[in-house]
Amino acid sequence: MDPKLVEVTQLFSRFKAAFARNDFDTSVSLLSQLKVLLTKFPSLPPSFQQTPNAVEELKIARDIYEHAVVLSVKIEDQDAFERDFCQLKPYYMDTCGIIPQSPEEYPILGLNLLRLLVQNRIAEFHTELELLPVNALENACIKHAVELEQSFMEGAYNRVLSARQAVPHETYVYFMDLLAKTVRDELAGCSEKGYDYMSITEAKQMLMFSSDQELHEYITEEHPEWEIKDGCVFFQKAKETQPCKEIPSLQVINQTLSYARELERIV
Amino acid sequence: MAAVATVSSASGILAMLQEPAEELKLHALANLNSVVHLFYPEISTSIPTIESLYEDEEFDQRQLAALVVSKVFYYLGELNDSLSYALGAGPLFDVSEDSDYAHALLAKALDEYASIKTKASKATEEEETVDPRLEAIVERMLEKCILDGKYQQAMGMAVECRRLDKLEEAIVLCDNIHGALSYCINLAHQYVNHHEYRFEVLRCLVKIYQTLPHPDYVSISQCLMFLGEPETVANILDKLLSGSKDDALLAYQIAFDLVENENQAFLLNVRNRLTSQTPAESNPDSGSALPDDQAGNVGTGSTEPAGDVQMRDDTATPNGSAHTVNPNEVAHADRLAKIKGILSGETSIQLTLQFLYSHNRSDLLILKTIKQAVEMRNSVCHSATICANAIMHAGTTVDTFLRENLEWLSRATNWAKFSATAGLGVIHRGHLQQGRALMAPYLPQSGAVSGGSPYSEGGALYALGLIHANHGEGIKQFLRESLRNTSAEVIQHGACLGLGLAALGTSDEEIYEDIKNVLYTDSAVAGEAAGIGMGLLMVGTASEKASEMLAYAHDTQHEKIIRGLSLGIALTVYGKEEEADTLIEQMTRDQDPILRYGGMYALALAYRGTANNKAIHQLLHFAVSDVSDDVRRTAVMALGFVLYNEPEQTPRIVSLLSESYNPHVRYGAALAVGISCAGSGLSDAISLLEPLTSDVVDFVRQGALIAMAMVMIQTNESFDSRVGTFRRQLEKIILDKHEDTMSKMGAILASGILDAGGRNVTIKLLSRNKHDKLTAVVGLAVFSQFWYWYPLLYFISLAFSPTAFIGLNSDLKVPKFEFLSHAKPSLFEYPKPTTQQTTTSAVKLPTAILSTYAKAKSRAKKDAESKANLEKATEEASGSTTSGKAAAKTQDKDADAMQVDNAAEKKAPEPEPTFQILTNPARVIPTQEKFIKFIEGSRYVAVKPSPSGFILLQDMQPTEAEVLALTDAPSTVATNTGSAAGQQGSASSAMAVDDEPQPPQPFEYTS
Repeated sequence: MDPKLVEVTQLFSRFKAAFARNDFDTSVSLLSQLKVLLTKFPSLPPSFQQTPNAVEELKIARDIYEHAVVLSVKIEDQDAFERDFCQLKPYYMDTCGIIPQSPEEYPILGLNLLRLLVQNRIAEFHTELELLPVNALENACIKHAVELEQSFMEGAYNRVLSARQAVPHETYVYFMDLLAKTVRDELAGCSEKGYDYMSITEAKQMLMFSSDQELHEYITEEHPEWEIKDGCVFFQKAKETQPCKEIPSLQVINQTLSYARELERIV
Repeated sequence: MAAVATVSSASGILAMLQEPAEELKLHALANLNSVVHLFYPEISTSIPTIESLYEDEEFDQRQLAALVVSKVFYYLGELNDSLSYALGAGPLFDVSEDSDYAHALLAKALDEYASIKTKASKATEEEETVDPRLEAIVERMLEKCILDGKYQQAMGMAVECRRLDKLEEAIVLCDNIHGALSYCINLAHQYVNHHEYRFEVLRCLVKIYQTLPHPDYVSISQCLMFLGEPETVANILDKLLSGSKDDALLAYQIAFDLVENENQAFLLNVRNRLTSQTPAESNPDSGSALPDDQAGNVGTGSTEPAGDVQMRDDTATPNGSAHTVNPNEVAHADRLAKIKGILSGETSIQLTLQFLYSHNRSDLLILKTIKQAVEMRNSVCHSATICANAIMHAGTTVDTFLRENLEWLSRATNWAKFSATAGLGVIHRGHLQQGRALMAPYLPQSGAVSGGSPYSEGGALYALGLIHANHGEGIKQFLRESLRNTSAEVIQHGACLGLGLAALGTSDEEIYEDIKNVLYTDSAVAGEAAGIGMGLLMVGTASEKASEMLAYAHDTQHEKIIRGLSLGIALTVYGKEEEADTLIEQMTRDQDPILRYGGMYALALAYRGTANNKAIHQLLHFAVSDVSDDVRRTAVMALGFVLYNEPEQTPRIVSLLSESYNPHVRYGAALAVGISCAGSGLSDAISLLEPLTSDVVDFVRQGALIAMAMVMIQTNESFDSRVGTFRRQLEKIILDKHEDTMSKMGAILASGILDAGGRNVTIKLLSRNKHDKLTAVVGLAVFSQFWYWYPLLYFISLAFSPTAFIGLNSDLKVPKFEFLSHAKPSLFEYPKPTTQQTTTSAVKLPTAILSTYAKAKSRAKKDAESKANLEKATEEASGSTTSGKAAAKTQDKDADAMQVDNAAEKKAPEPEPTFQILTNPARVIPTQEKFIKFIEGSRYVAVKPSPSGFILLQDMQPTEAEVLALTDAPSTVATNTGSAAGQQGSASSAMAVDDEPQPPQPFEYTS
């Protein structure tokens, strides 16, 4: 067996042990070592050279990145999640059956969908969805994310929030928590557009805060343009500050004149 | 593993860039570099990340990052950014890489470097420094080209990048230095737009030339002329004249080539220097040159008998006798006299005159038809006919038509009389010796009360100017006196034009003052001519007189004067390119449309024949945006002047304008094509003009007809069938009673131009060396003014240049000499003479004549061919017996022709021969030039192989008697024109007896 592969395998088992212990610091440092070692493998994307150990190498690399993704969820690092997922993706998408499908594939893809939903990157969400094969939609993990998105779009925020109870995989919990915040932002945006003002109680209920204190904090942090007086939240100011569309008269005049001039020039 | 796995996205690699570990970043970059051509759209979103890597001083693979960014920018089409990052990539950017990316970036780098260099040279102060990395890349490129033997590429790049050091290197390393140098000269003229820089390039080339062991003096002199260094040219000529006989021949050739470029001031300068140098230098020169020469000849084992003979003579003299006069000196003085004759232009003018006279093939029947068709009372058509006659016979001295129609001629009154008299000048153009005698009856008589009308007197002065155009040394004084002695504005008008023509471009202060005095009388008629005259005098000098003229143009109330002055100002900036920009700007921004109109001419003349993009851009802008029709028309027409070095471009550029709703623009487009494609017979040009000749507006038709004639001049029907159609169209317009006067006039003039100069001249704005012919360009520029003033039509004669091959021996005589035109004779022969169309048999008659004519011709050709073969076989003996044989041949040929005449109607015409033997001097039209070949083993060898013009011939059998053509020996002339049937046959042989055409008897048409 290739010494490099042996080294990686050994290191990986140490990483897995640390990971199982929930010793995240050790895991992270081991992981970065592993990644560096992986760059030595020519069979990995993007070069995909056909070496004798290709299958082994690809498998172990995929395994490492899958763990990396899960680790990033555990340490609640969204950037790392995205990074690792991007690097993992070619193993799922581009290996063309050189290695068998990973059992973790759909949970991780679903996790990524959920992440996109949380970050409110709906366009990318759909792009990712389109890239999946049709039968993948049957998978519970994927289905969960798709249903969430549908509810989210419909405005059925209740269903979104209640879905937390029915997560298909333990790693999903982290993102489901974050989703509540996303939903709240959506609600705040809608209220701003839909109402001139709202009583504090209603606002509290609407935005799912348990106390006035929390509401106040939220408003000062996220929407400083909202005004609180007489027990009501006023959205008026936010609307006013929107720049009113000015007629670009000078530009229009210039354009018209230049058209006239060009017409003159027609030979 | 049947399926080959490939990545479908670069996102994984991009994600890796975000990793904290350096190794991963590096790995990602390396991978990105290899897939960038596939995933640049994805990577482009991450450019800031990679850029930050590049900017990170601590990152050890910054250059790789730069390379990746550069590639992405390249694929995105952002070449500027791409280049700047590629420079950052340092050695990683591989110049020799064979990829689109590398090619594109190298091209970009060169462009960038060239533009920086150009800017730097303009800014003068050295604040703009070139990025050393860029310079390094360019130098690497240049060296690679030189190493690979792609010298032309290297030279092109070096010129473009203003690296004369590299240019020199490339030329010197090149295996074919002469080829390289001439390539560079071409390059300098065609592609170097900037005036100053072109000079620098040429200077550099001259420098290289001079270091060569066997300098190409012909090319050097051309360069020097362009640089305006008469002194060096004079030195070269002097050196050559003191050398062997062949060197002297070369000197003559150089002189002829210089004369062809029509730079009067420069030629005068060379001539004066030759005179001033010789007394001091001739003795030591001729003394020292001889041993040199001898050594050279012995050393190289030269086979030139001419040199040997001369030397034998030279070495013999001291023994023979103690003559007081050194024969070397005599020979030298003789050569000096000859070369001065050439430089003064007199030799070439005289030879041209003889050629045009002897080969005149104008068709009087065409004129007769016109004369009959034109109504007497219509003075426009009447004087157009006179003008057409003048153009048809320009430079031939044949005025038969005028003599035969004296009474008809006398209907010209007032200004028409002025024009008619001036027309004589066109007919006798170049008749330097007899010119004044010819015009004497019309000239103002000093002292005595003049009997003639001022119109004919003025016209005669103008005619004198036309005769002496650009060679006015002898006549200037007389014209000045005439100008001073008169106060009649018509005479002043003629004298101003005449003086301008005679003293073209000499910037003679005294003449200028005289003309200025006329201008300040503020008479409209005289002032207009004065303005033009001042311009002619100051052509291409960019003197500060222009501002004086501009100031007066603002002062005066007369439109005519303003117009004359604005054209004059335009003439002063002739060929000045960027130097003229201030003046052009001033004129084109003027309130007065006439001055803007002059501004268009200034643009046209300053950038004549440069195809300068900026000038074209400006002209097109004015053509579509000016409020005055005159300015628009002129702007379009000016395009013709700017583009005449690339005639193929013009039809394309003006094609849209030729469909303009504005008739003035259409007219301008027609003339632009006419001017730039003149004499080319270009198919595109004809296609563009064809619809315009049947335009709805009369003056557009006029312009199109004239332009068409200019394009088709010397093209015959078998070369392009549309020529025949056009001739018939002209005839139809002239004969049509209901046609507008304007287009009728155009048709008459077009007939004249089509057959100009006895069908032996063409309109050429570029000399064979691709220099601009100043006289011709100026001539056409003033000619285009005929819109306002018909007498200016005659200026077109300045643009005519004879299409002749004239071979000369060392005595500047025309020896009998044959050469080959490797093409069907019918392609280039003279158009067939027209026949009377009065009878119904007119259709049958020409066919009969045509077949016999063709038969006779082809038989004659075959004959000549066999004769050539014969001559090859009996080469040695041929010299002494040529004259006798030639005479016999002629008789044979005549007999043959007669025989064919009888049999012609029965036999089908034989296939045409594919070549034709021409006899010196011969008509060689520009399109024919590429078919001209010299017969190997013939007695004369050209000093410089060139298909037309004046060619000095080296005599390989100097001991044998020479047979001269054109000057004495009637028998040879008979051979020349033996096969030619027509009324000119007898005239030519009769004429050839004399040394020079007899001046026609003076006659007067004024009652």
